[in-house]
Amino acid sequence: MTAIELNNLRKEYKDVVAVNDLSFTVEEGELFSLLGVNGAGKTTTIKMLSTLISPTGGDATILGKSLRNEAQEIKGLIDVSTQETAVARKLTVEENIEFYAALNGLSDEEIRERKAEAYRVFGLDTVAKKQASKLSGGWQRKLSIALALVCRPRILFLDEPTLGLDVLARRELWRAITSLKGKMTIILTTHYMEEAEALSDRIGIMDRGRLLFVGTKEELYARSGKTNVEDAFVEIVMGGDVHA
Amino acid sequence: MRDSIRRISVLTRRNLKEILRDPLSLIFTIALPLFLEILFYLIFHKMTAQFEMRYLAPGIVGFAQAFLTLFAGLLISQDRNTAFLTRLYVSRARSHEFIFGYVAALLPIAFTQSILFFLVGGILEPQIISVGMIWGVLISLVTSLFYIGAGILVGSLANEKAVGGLSSIVISGQSILSGMWFPADGLGKGILIAMKTLPFKNATLLVQNCFLGVESATVDFLFPLLILLGYTVGVTVWAILAFRKKMKGE
Repeated sequence: MTAIELNNLRKEYKDVVAVNDLSFTVEEGELFSLLGVNGAGKTTTIKMLSTLISPTGGDATILGKSLRNEAQEIKGLIDVSTQETAVARKLTVEENIEFYAALNGLSDEEIRERKAEAYRVFGLDTVAKKQASKLSGGWQRKLSIALALVCRPRILFLDEPTLGLDVLARRELWRAITSLKGKMTIILTTHYMEEAEALSDRIGIMDRGRLLFVGTKEELYARSGKTNVEDAFVEIVMGGDVHA
Repeated sequence: MRDSIRRISVLTRRNLKEILRDPLSLIFTIALPLFLEILFYLIFHKMTAQFEMRYLAPGIVGFAQAFLTLFAGLLISQDRNTAFLTRLYVSRARSHEFIFGYVAALLPIAFTQSILFFLVGGILEPQIISVGMIWGVLISLVTSLFYIGAGILVGSLANEKAVGGLSSIVISGQSILSGMWFPADGLGKGILIAMKTLPFKNATLLVQNCFLGVESATVDFLFPLLILLGYTVGVTVWAILAFRKKMKGE
């Protein structure tokens, strides 16, 4: 089943076109990575798909619901982890999870269950009683992603989840993300090519608001004549339009 | 409706925890005004009627409420700065529920301020203890809504650094134009007009008049109330619009 379908999705800011008539689909259970240099339009695309900003043209359906007309219904199906850490600073890790779960209408029993799950997947039990503001950047990022999972969204948007993390924290997060594969649809944006290589089922490459490529890693290698994602990315972005 | 109330209640509990765990907010909203109340009473109450407790206690209530603007503004701008609000925007909560969540978290602080400053006033000058204190406390909840609304507006419009500057305009406006720190007699006509038409003096007068009793319900209660409510509604509507605009990422 198709989880996300973009139909000429567009976002303009005055005379700047941030996202230029984007069209592609993502299947349910897929991990889809959006790659691009700074200003390519990845974050704007994620923000539109997660209902945070409105498109100025086109539309997208999220699990069959229109972004333009059914944004409130879509909110119950998705969650997002932004580039910046998004936690309540003066609440403890445990209180953050309880707060976010309660805000989304989970029962006390469900909250207990999801808390245990977040502790298990991200190892948060060791810092459960610590205030979020006193955690390291890596732990804050883990908590931020754990919060996005508390309500078991059918679609999860991860906008540069490992940005600024050291190599060990990044690998730990990769493990956590890998454990979610197949359980939900994940849209990931990243600057780290090895991250896309390790995690993705399919990859989309954006440049200046336009989609240059969409397909599997194997299709990417075949199109670009390269044998790794980084070289293939450079070839496609520098070499012009190459469509799968 | 039930879901909406539940979400407001969850947001309120979180906001209250954030505020109470910030020692600065307690120092500025409670400790500093309390210290000034005691200090000014002990030094000046025999020298000038301005600082007799019947005027000082309601005046301090208004002064302390101005700091609610600062802390509401800081809380919201910090939430925005850390992308915490962005996360919440993806939840089912709507903009008015966020606003009510902030207001409801700050009202208990306004209530505590009012009770405490009247109580301490009553201890220092027992003859002021009267049923008027109850009316003073109740009306102060209404006057606090203006300062809280101003804080939500400032927090929605400005970043963390600018919130301090913008809030200090409200705090200075309250201090200078409320007339609680110095008598209005002899001030220029322009200042007197500003005091009568801006919300600060009217907010202080309302608490004072409800506490001491009014001679004319129209002049001493209704007029200041209508002026203050006008500002409160204006600021709150502007705050909701500004907050909603931020929610949509515009």
